[in-house]
This record gives sequence, C-alpha cells and structure tokens, in this order.
Amino acid sequence: MSSSAARRYKLLRLLEPYLFLAPALIVIGLIFAFPIVRLVTLSFQRPFQGQLLFVGLTNYQTIFKDEVFLRAVRNNLTLLISVPIMVFIALILAIFLFDRIRGWQFYRTTLFLPYLLPITVVGLIFSYIFQLSGVLNDFLKVIGLERFILDWLGSTKLALPTLMFVIVWKEVGFGIVLFLARLMSVEEELFDAAKIDGANWWRLQWHITIPQLATTIEFFTIVSIITILSWVFGYVYVMTGGGPGNSTMVTELFIYLSGFRYNQMNIASAVSVILLLVTGIFIFLELRLRERSVTLEEMP
Amino acid sequence: MSKTRFVFVLLTLVSILAACAQPVTPPAEQPQQPAATEAPAQPAEAEPVKLVIWWWGEQEAPGAQQWLDETIAEYQKLHRNVTIEAVLQSTDSLIPAFQSAAAAQQGPDIQYFWGGVWTLEFAWSGALVPLDDLIPAEERAHYINNFERTYDGKLWGMGWYLSGNPMVYNPTLFEKAGIDLNDLPDTWDELIAACDKLNAIGVTPISGGLKDGWFGGWLFSILGRQNLDSEKDFMKASIGQAKFTDPAYAEWWERLNQLKEAKCWNADINSVDYQQGQDQFVQGKSAMIFGNDTFLKGWAEIIGWDNMGVMRVPKYGSGKLADTYVVTAQGLGITSWSQHKKEAADFLMFTHTPDRLNAWFKYTGVLPADDRFDTAQIDQPILKQIFEWVVQSSGPNLENFIPSMLDEQANFTGTQLLFAGDKTPAELAQLTEEVAQKWREQNPDQLQNFVNWYTK
Repeated sequence: MSSSAARRYKLLRLLEPYLFLAPALIVIGLIFAFPIVRLVTLSFQRPFQGQLLFVGLTNYQTIFKDEVFLRAVRNNLTLLISVPIMVFIALILAIFLFDRIRGWQFYRTTLFLPYLLPITVVGLIFSYIFQLSGVLNDFLKVIGLERFILDWLGSTKLALPTLMFVIVWKEVGFGIVLFLARLMSVEEELFDAAKIDGANWWRLQWHITIPQLATTIEFFTIVSIITILSWVFGYVYVMTGGGPGNSTMVTELFIYLSGFRYNQMNIASAVSVILLLVTGIFIFLELRLRERSVTLEEMP
Repeated sequence: MSKTRFVFVLLTLVSILAACAQPVTPPAEQPQQPAATEAPAQPAEAEPVKLVIWWWGEQEAPGAQQWLDETIAEYQKLHRNVTIEAVLQSTDSLIPAFQSAAAAQQGPDIQYFWGGVWTLEFAWSGALVPLDDLIPAEERAHYINNFERTYDGKLWGMGWYLSGNPMVYNPTLFEKAGIDLNDLPDTWDELIAACDKLNAIGVTPISGGLKDGWFGGWLFSILGRQNLDSEKDFMKASIGQAKFTDPAYAEWWERLNQLKEAKCWNADINSVDYQQGQDQFVQGKSAMIFGNDTFLKGWAEIIGWDNMGVMRVPKYGSGKLADTYVVTAQGLGITSWSQHKKEAADFLMFTHTPDRLNAWFKYTGVLPADDRFDTAQIDQPILKQIFEWVVQSSGPNLENFIPSMLDEQANFTGTQLLFAGDKTPAELAQLTEEVAQKWREQNPDQLQNFVNWYTK
C-alpha cells in the first residue's frame, strides 16, 4: 500500500464513526438545533417597520421589568412546593402497597390511573368540582359544612393552592409506580435479616426502604421539578386561564400569551430561552444522576 | 465522549449557529396585486383551483356551518374547477393557528378575522392583502362596518356578519319581580333598583363568567364607552395622548363595582367561564345578561322567543357612545401567500349575493354585514328591534380598537380582580394605564401602527 493510500485509509477510518453518526446528527440538528437557534436568534431581535432588528438584551431586560412575568416566575416557584408533597405521598403509599395490604393490586392500579388521564380531562373535571357552584361545595353544603364553602378557583388566594392540589393528585401516581417498581427489585433478604435483628416497621423503612429508594427518589424529584417548571400549561390553561387576576399565571402561559395573543414573538422567545436554560439545568442534573446510578449499580 | 462534554459541545454548536444565523426577516412583501378581479374562467378551460378557508363563527352563530357548506357546494357547482375546503377553528386556536401560518407563509387562502385590531395586526405584518384591487368599489360599498378594517385608505377584509351586544332579559322573571315591562330600566339607578327587586325574589339579576377572561373585554366594551364619543378616544389613550385614569375612562370601573356591591351578579362569576355565565340565563337562573345577538335564535330554540326580551344597556354616561348599540362585523380576509387571490375574492363576493345573504339569515338568524340583505325577511319582533338599533345607532366594539395586551392584562384581569375584591376601581384604572404604558414601551412597532391608524 502506497503512503498516500495509507493516509486515505487512515483518514477514512478516522471519519468512519462520524459518517455513521451523520444521518442521526442531521435529524437531531433539524429537529432540535434549528428551532433552538431560531428561538435564541428571535430573543435578541424586535420587529420595527417591517424589519427584525438586533436589540441585544433588550427583550430580556423588558421581561425582568414585567410584573406579570415576575408573577409567573413566583407562581412557578410556589408550585415547586408540590414536589416534596408529591414525593412524600408517593413514598408513603408505595410503602403501604409494598407491604401488600389487602387489595394492594387494585389500589396500585387506582392510584396510577390519574397519571394516565389526559390533563385536559382532569382539568375540566376539576374545574366543575371546584367551581363556587360546583360538586365540592354542593357536597359540603349537604353534609352541613357550609362554612367551608369557598370560591376555590375564583379567589386569588385559593386558585393556586387548588391548582397545586390537582397537579399533585394527577402526578403522584407516577411516583408510586416508580417507587414500587424499585422496591420490588430489592432483595427480600435485606428485610428478612432486619426483621430477625428485631427492627420494627419504622426502622425497616428508615434503614432499608429509603436508602434503597434514594436514587429513585432523586430521579422522581428532578422529573417533578421539570414538570412543574415546564409542563403545567395544560392544567393552568384549562382550569384557570392564569386567573383570577394573574394569580395562577405561569411562565409557559406567559410565553403563549406573549407570542399568540399580544403578537410579541420576540418577548415570548426570550422567556422561552430562560425557561429552556433553567429546565436544561435540571435535565443535566437528571442525566448526571442516571450516570451515577449506573456507576453505583456496576460497582462490585 | 462523556455526557458532560457532549452537552457542552452541543451548547457551543447551538451558540455558534445562533450567532451565525441570518436575521429572520418578516413575512414577504405583499405581492403585486392584479388591477381588478376578472370573471372566473369557464369550467372547461380553467385550471383546477383549491381554496382553503379557516373560519370561526359556528360558535357564535349556530347554523353558520350549514350555510357555509351549502354556499361552497353552490359555488363549486358554478365553478367546477374550484374546490373549497373549510376548516372550522376553535376560539383559542383561531389566532395562534393563523400566526403560525403567517410565519410559515403557508396556510389558508381566506381567513376569518374579528374586526379592528384583530384584522389590522395581520395587515401590518404583511399576512393580508387589501381587497381594493380585488373587489370593485361598488361592491365594497355595500359591506357594513368597513371602517373597522380600513387602514391607510385600504380595506383589509370583508365583513361577513354582524355581532351586537344587547342586554337580554327574561320577561317572566321581570314580571315576577315587579319590574314593569313597559318601563324597562334605562338608567344606572334603575338597573340597580331592578337588581334589588330580583334579589328580593331570590333570582340572580345578571349572570356572566369571567374565568376565561373574554367577558371582561365585553364589559369594557359595553360599559366603558359611555363617557366618550368615539373609538378614536380609546386609541388616543392607548397611544398615550390621554390617560385611562382620566375620569371619563375610569368611571366604568366604579359603575361595575356598584353593580357588584348591589349583588347584581352571579356569585360564581369568577369561577365560571363566559359560556357558562350565558347559560345561566338560558337555564332561567338569572334574569339578565349582557348578551350577543348572534345567539338569540339559538336561545329562542331552547326557551322560546316569548321568554326573552332585549333592551339597551342602561346609561350612566353622556358621551356619544352611550347612545350606541355595540356592533362589530366579523369578517374574512385574503392572505398574502394565496396563489388564488382572484378566485378567493370571487368566492367572497359570492357570499354576498342576495341569495346567500338571505340564506345566511335563514340558517342563523344573524344579520349579514351587507346592506343588500332583504330586511323583509326579519319577522321576529326581537330581531326587528336589533335591526333597528343596528341601522339607527350602531357603535364600535371597543375591544377592536385597543391593543390585545391591554384588553387581556387590564380588562380580563381587572374585572377578575374587582370581583375577587382585591382591587378598587381607582386601582384598576391605574392598572389599565400602567398596562397601556407597558405596551407602548414593549412594542414600538405596534405603537407606530396604532399612531398611524389613529391619525390617518
């Protein structure tokens, strides 16, 4: 083989993996990179007299002065309270189900069911339940608890907690199934040995169940944070529309309104970039976590 | 490559691509228009043409679907080379879907628009073509409410049907409460007195639903007008040449609050949406609504014409608009990317032929936006009354003359805050002014368009 042919062969060998990767990279580029590039570009521009002008960070400065946007961010942060609540409820219920209480298989299906329902269906049903003249208040009236009749969705103070309740109700099933699946793969001997050593129920959970679930809890926590930051649009849109008085406004709805109601696609893009970055951090954390859990599993 | 490094490389690539990206240009310039609409070609010789219409309207004018299907079938019979596909949009997807189409320069040939700013925003962005070169002036002159769609001396859409806002009442409940049907409330004090009487017999005086926001905009348009003389006054305040805190603009918040304090409204107004609020009237749970005349025929089919009456909104102000009946023409426009503008214009004109105008009224009970409509067809007294108001004292729907951000963040939000008891009328007037100011700061381009619209 001549030296030039050898060089060509070497070069080809060097390029080979990239050539194999190329089709996938092109598809990923078209599906993900292009929209992101376009989004980032738009966030630095503004329309003026038929042209889109580069305006630097103006859109970003604008949104951080916008009270409605700040309210949306505050609401997203408030909704994060639901994450530890979801983790706690999912954990407790998973432990009970793992204890194989009577009818546990039925309960497992029932508790997972809300997670399978479309958000719009859940939102609509709960809208009717929580209206001032809705099912819940009618029920409270029937059982003589009139003083607890409240305008769950019509009050600026109650609408966000009500929304939070619905999110927890729907999303907690995912946590239960995750935790239960993990617990079922834990070796029974661990629990048996602890029982022989005289560990009571609390000690079993504290020293075996929770440590065994640690990575799953972390995973569920991060997925729930991502959900709260960037997947609650459906709930808000159907149940409250961001009201009353912006009390349930969230960043996703703010993006939608800016882009499609107020014709401010560039402002919407700037908020989207911020949301993408924040969510990206959590996605990155989640990836790291998975990496770590794989490493732990591979350890002898 | 570790995942960390991969993410880093990906982000770097994205940043480089973002930096290198060409500035995104707005939708293409409007193409040159033909001098005039020519008669459609003969079927045997003509090239096949497909027109796509994205429309909305069945939601507020039940029967519109039937009319459109029939109209398309008849048009296709006359023009065998033309196929028309009509896609009904939901209220929430109407604007977003068209915005996406405009960004892609692909989508319908004919698009449905609400009046005023809802149409002109798309004219300003280049998504629409003016009809002046496509539809003869003589024809255009017959369309009602053209002023809503006129900008820079050109007409950017065609009115299809009229949508007005009467106050609708239940005569049986009025009589039961002792309200004289021959002396209906026509001042604010009389309206509040009527609320007291209705409350006394355990009937909700007026029902509405604010949860989805839209009704807040209606209230602004119906009540906020009474101290002012023209839609231009509201454009003036939007562009910063007047203030929404001025008493003439702000008083409606106080008046709405008076109705709230007098328990005129359904208690669940904040937790039900617009449609549910209107339904309470149809179900006989409330005695009045700020209604929409496009729904009258549909309601009559449920409760009968005898169980409905219409009246003008009681007055508190003395501006010229206080005496007007709110009317807007919902309309259709032709998109700049359409390959068949002439044919689209021809179809639009076909919808305004006498036979189609009369059929429209027959199917929907709604007045078409054309003065050639045979008014002898109106035999129902309530609809006759509506027609009389339209002819004698129609006035603009103010939501069509303010920025949509102002409508949403001041009117939609403000009415919810008022009924939640979180803000006073004065605070809400201040909120409106702040939103207007924010809109001006955030949207220099839209502001310039509004200034041009206001001044020209």
